[in-house]
Amino acid sequence: MGEGQEVEGLSQGQIVWSRFIRHRGAIGGLITIGLVTLSSILMMGIGPLDGLWRDQQIRSGEVLNGGRPTLTLPGVHGSEFAIGMHPFGQDSLGRDYFAQVMLGVQTSLFVALVLGVVALTIGVTVGALAGYYRGKVDMALMRVTDLVITLPVIVMGAVLGSLVAKLPLRLNAGPEVSAWIRENMPLLLAVALGCILWTGLARLVRSEFLTLREREFVDSARVAGASDFRIIVKHMLPNSVGVIVVNTTLLMSAAVTLEAALSFVGFGIQPPSISLGRLIQENQGAFSTRPWLFWWPGLFIMLIALSINFIGDGLRDAFDPRTKKIPSARAMAKAERQLLERAQTENKEVSS
Amino acid sequence: MVRFIARRLALALGTLLVLSFLMYGLLEAALDPLIDLRENPAANRDEMIANRVRLLRLDLPWYQRYFSWLAGFVQGDFGLAWRTMQPVGTLARGAIATSVQLVFAATVIAILLGVTIGVISALRQYTAFDYTITFVSFLLYSLPIFWVAVLLKQFLAIGMNNFLNEPSINWPLLIGVAVVAGLFWAGALGGRRDKKLKVFAGAAVVTFGVLVGTLVSGWVLNPQIGIVGIGLLSVALAFGITALFAGLNNKRALYSALTTAAVGTFLWWPLQFLFYYVEMSWLWMLGLLAVALLVAAGIGWAFGGPDRAVSIRGTAIVALLTSVLIFADRVLQTWIPYFNAPEISGRPIATIGAHTPGLNADFWMSQLDRWTHLLLPTIALVLISFATYTRYQRGAMLEVLNQDYIRTARAKGLSERVVIVRHALRNALMPLASIVPVDFITLIGGAVITETIFSWAGMGRLFIDSLYGQEADPVMFYIMLTGALAMVANLVADFLYAVIDPRIRVDA
Amino acid sequence: MSTDRTAGKHASRERARSAFTDAIKLSRDTGGPVAKGDVILTVKDLTVRFWVGDEWFTAVDEMSYQLRAGEVLAIVGESGSGKTQSSMSLLGLLPATGRATGSANLKGTELVGMSIQELREIRGNEISVIFQEPMTALNPVYTVGFQIVETLRTHYLMNPRAAKDRAIELMTLVEIPDPADSFHKFPHQLSGGQRQRIMIAQALACEPKLLVADEPTTALDVTVQAEILKLMRELRERVSAGIILITHDMGVVADMADRIIVMKDGVVVEHGTAEEVFHHPQHPYTQQLLASVPHLAESVGDEAAQGAPRTLIEVDGRPVPLTEPASGEPPALLMEDVAIVYPKQGRRAEFRAAEHVNLRIDAGEVIGLVGESGSGKTTIGRAAVALLPVREGRLTVAGHDITHASLKELKPFRKTVGIVFQDPGSSLNPRLPVGESIGEPLLLHEGLRGKQLSNRVEALLDSVHLPRAMRNRYPHELSGGQRQRIGIARALALNPKLLIADEPTSALDVSVQARVLTLFQELQEQYGFACLFISHDLAVVEQVSSRIAVMHHGHLVEVGDTIDIVTRPQHAYTQRLLSAVPVPDPDEQRKRREMRDAIIEREHLVS
Repeated sequence: MGEGQEVEGLSQGQIVWSRFIRHRGAIGGLITIGLVTLSSILMMGIGPLDGLWRDQQIRSGEVLNGGRPTLTLPGVHGSEFAIGMHPFGQDSLGRDYFAQVMLGVQTSLFVALVLGVVALTIGVTVGALAGYYRGKVDMALMRVTDLVITLPVIVMGAVLGSLVAKLPLRLNAGPEVSAWIRENMPLLLAVALGCILWTGLARLVRSEFLTLREREFVDSARVAGASDFRIIVKHMLPNSVGVIVVNTTLLMSAAVTLEAALSFVGFGIQPPSISLGRLIQENQGAFSTRPWLFWWPGLFIMLIALSINFIGDGLRDAFDPRTKKIPSARAMAKAERQLLERAQTENKEVSS
Repeated sequence: MVRFIARRLALALGTLLVLSFLMYGLLEAALDPLIDLRENPAANRDEMIANRVRLLRLDLPWYQRYFSWLAGFVQGDFGLAWRTMQPVGTLARGAIATSVQLVFAATVIAILLGVTIGVISALRQYTAFDYTITFVSFLLYSLPIFWVAVLLKQFLAIGMNNFLNEPSINWPLLIGVAVVAGLFWAGALGGRRDKKLKVFAGAAVVTFGVLVGTLVSGWVLNPQIGIVGIGLLSVALAFGITALFAGLNNKRALYSALTTAAVGTFLWWPLQFLFYYVEMSWLWMLGLLAVALLVAAGIGWAFGGPDRAVSIRGTAIVALLTSVLIFADRVLQTWIPYFNAPEISGRPIATIGAHTPGLNADFWMSQLDRWTHLLLPTIALVLISFATYTRYQRGAMLEVLNQDYIRTARAKGLSERVVIVRHALRNALMPLASIVPVDFITLIGGAVITETIFSWAGMGRLFIDSLYGQEADPVMFYIMLTGALAMVANLVADFLYAVIDPRIRVDA
Repeated sequence: MSTDRTAGKHASRERARSAFTDAIKLSRDTGGPVAKGDVILTVKDLTVRFWVGDEWFTAVDEMSYQLRAGEVLAIVGESGSGKTQSSMSLLGLLPATGRATGSANLKGTELVGMSIQELREIRGNEISVIFQEPMTALNPVYTVGFQIVETLRTHYLMNPRAAKDRAIELMTLVEIPDPADSFHKFPHQLSGGQRQRIMIAQALACEPKLLVADEPTTALDVTVQAEILKLMRELRERVSAGIILITHDMGVVADMADRIIVMKDGVVVEHGTAEEVFHHPQHPYTQQLLASVPHLAESVGDEAAQGAPRTLIEVDGRPVPLTEPASGEPPALLMEDVAIVYPKQGRRAEFRAAEHVNLRIDAGEVIGLVGESGSGKTTIGRAAVALLPVREGRLTVAGHDITHASLKELKPFRKTVGIVFQDPGSSLNPRLPVGESIGEPLLLHEGLRGKQLSNRVEALLDSVHLPRAMRNRYPHELSGGQRQRIGIARALALNPKLLIADEPTSALDVSVQARVLTLFQELQEQYGFACLFISHDLAVVEQVSSRIAVMHHGHLVEVGDTIDIVTRPQHAYTQRLLSAVPVPDPDEQRKRREMRDAIIEREHLVS
């Protein structure tokens, strides 16, 4: 190291990043989810902005060729790549299915994101307070967590979904508010679900804080005169970033399937918003005649959830200081051969 | 111990009470019993609303209704599903049994499969096998269960039924299955390249042979085990279990396990008469199993030697599995009449309901009927929680394998089997107690979806239907039941933890 | 009656003995029985390599030695010197990425490259290991008796009864109290020393030819260490095994070793008899290593022990009285009859960690606080910086009475104290550049920012002899010694009147420790702070402090001038503690050992 010279050390973040980009699955997931997000936004626009796809309104129309997808891939069922008019086919009313699926993807991603933020905020706050203050605060907060954790999320979710649908009535709201509520159903649902999915994160952050509290740098900050708030925010939270980030991603992947399942049983996203789960539910009966209506939404749910899971796995490995780069069995065998060769050449040198 | 249980019980009841209050309030906001009347154009709309308000006492504030509901609940009056005017107690009776069957079977299978695969995956860390298992478990995590369930219905059930009607051999599929089986065993057993090749070839050939054998001989159309099958399988089990738990050089354990297998096989014959002349029931089954276990323990004891406990453990497991085989054999004997029954008409794999309505079946055939109905929903449920157990067990096992006491065990000269089974596995299974209750709750949630798709009249279905119908009482019943089950699962887990981990003091 | 019982005991011991000798050995017996003095192990050009990143890293380079039965060979070195891996490779217990080449011959059997099946017969049978951490090295879910029996029954055809008898015999041999009862205990129910005895019993179970002891006493308190060493010395007379002792502690080496190998970075730098290595070290590294080891009562001449000792001690449960103030200045730390209690947590009852503590530290004075783990010495240190509340008595720091001070009242007080912790890896926030860690107290108390803060941080780095550029580095990029220097710089940032140093050098290698201690003394002269120097290591404390306070079970038992405590302790516990400290000199250590035996003998007579 150059003496007297300002050398920027590698920060923890840089190390995590350099490890993360070596994780093949995580990079694959990142690219996949990037492509899916990009195509859904480019094609169908975002919010008031229109996208590039020719049919932004999802109009019904004439069913062409039995509604069959026009997408062809070379080597699979065609000689060359073609998108055609309706790459994913049409539903029974002749509406373009690609547009519907892309909007469903947007809903899924949006719900996952909002839910992640809500659950993150509640979970980290509850976990941090419980773990830092221990004692009575901890007891009280953990009882609340137990309460939320008792029922399956799908059950709580169905009740909350039903509640969100009744909001205009319960609030006795005027037509504008009702319309706003209907428009922003995904947002409300995501917030509601976020309020039940934070428990796992809270427990993890709590146990992380309980361990961190025993670490001497926390005492050392206190002796230096740092306030509780400063200790929590400046010293302890940055050290639990790994746990938090990893589990938030996993939470988001769970959110994607949860939202789809709720919409499937009818307590999730309501029309006019489109959800992948609802697309599957609507087209379930048509499986034997038009299976593609069933395949596409399922495929995208899986793709999104799988990508997020792989990103989470990559982050876990990147944040975990114990994961050293352990050679695979094959690399080890190769290394051993190398050692053997070296020993032989040394022997030769000795004998010659 | 008593204080520990009492404390936990009191805490659980308290939580349940608070939960019921909160959920009642939440449902008050989430349900609207008047929803169908609000938009009703009928002339007597106001009168109908007034009637319903009176029926459900909607004029009272909700907390008053809560307390009267609670008073009824603790006295065993669970309320009314007002659309059909049926008491919730009656509705739930059949539904609980149905759901419990489903969730229990799925939990057991998922734990056994998931834990085994997780342990093997950990032992083969950073091999192709491990990577494949990791990928598969991620895939299963990401699959929407309702989607998988529909796929199972469309492909597995319909495909199998078609096949059973017109059996034909799909050679590419058979070869594919054989190759996958070969790869699986080669990966799971590991070792050097030549060993892997041998295992691969062996497993692939055996799988292929067995599949072709069953297809060509027509076994698939009339699946039977028979005394020969029971004999062979039980002897194989005796060897396998001895190898795993005692080591094959413990001759006493091996001989006692083999004796148990032989006794079980010979008992097959007299049992057939018993089954023929006496109408069987579950009570009988449990009684016979108890007898079998006692006999097995006797055999283990008689072989004696210094390690009686080890021998008895082995014989008991062999006896249990042989009993299951004999049971399965008897159930499968009803296959042909079941297959040809008019209600089945040659399509035995069911996609709807928990049993075939109107089937004229004895004890054995009703078991078979239950299996064919359980098959698909159980697969769907197992798929979702299998991945959790695999990932978790892999992590726990890796953690334990890094511990100092594993190095100590190796330094003592113990064989790898003892190091893994006795020292590592025992410790790695302990944290399982903390995720089983959590996963159990997830499975109950999964049952909500599966029951809806497979039209099982279970609790989950009842919940969804009542939520649709804006009926608060059945929903509350479901919530209380699920909450109570979760509490019991937690309690059992705590208790198990305290029993298996000597470091935890229960009396504190 | 009593003779009956002794006779019975004798009979059962006889039975165990015969059960063991009659037992059929399942595992191989390499080269037949050994007698004292036979060569049992010949190691030649043993090399251990690890596959790290993308290349082979050599952890042990061409090591050669011979070991005779009944001989103790100590392999000494600092962390990372390859001392442990060299011995683990004999048993094939290297991590998955490690490979050994060369030759290790155990009575005619080549160990390197042996198949795993054959190795299994050697492990625990011909070669057994005593590991460092007795807590984690025993399986927590099985009774200790079972774990010994398991070893026996792996290598011998024995029925459980006979194996149990033999296990109890072994447990008696290693002086476990009430062996028949302890047989059924789980590891967590035994103390650290007892667990280590169980490890030893387990290692001796099959009468191995070679015993590898990997830092067998490092995790133990010094008095327990002395007992374990005594046990091991007795055992080496009784069993005809060769012992390889792996350690970093020169005191332990002086106590046990016949021959010594000194390793540095995988290379053997010195190899000779204990006599040669201690008195005529050849290699500069060995010389430096020996010079770095603090030596208890080394600089004390005979003339120091003049007059009556002036230490204050606890008598008949009455606490140690306060010392007289040395000057009119307010003391840096004054504890008057202080009690510190860990409050009830959940269902865990409250715990009185220290009671009736009277202690004065005058301005600019360094006081050493010694005691074993659990004695409450760290508790005292933490209370002095208000990390723990005081339950009874009065605690004054540099004129601030902080006995019942509120958080707000503590703020000005915080400026007057600093603390240095034991584990330099844990005491710095891993997510902050070290410069920010050093600057935090300045930011919080003096509101310094930007250039001003930066200048002060650089000045502090200068004073602990670290390059200024290091301020931008993260703790994980620094070595242990560098991190501890950062810790000291941070503690000194506000120029405190009182510094608490809680085992500041315990986690460091000796040579690093020596440098940090020198730095500490230098800074103490420069800044003139008062210091409470907490350590379990009497030799370190002796080196830095003018007075020493001794703690035992939450009580101060003796306080006095360093020279008096070290040479003429009055309290029985202090005497026992002192005699247990091994000194890095074989001859002197022998004398001390005899003295210690005498002390224990005397105590037994008294009680």
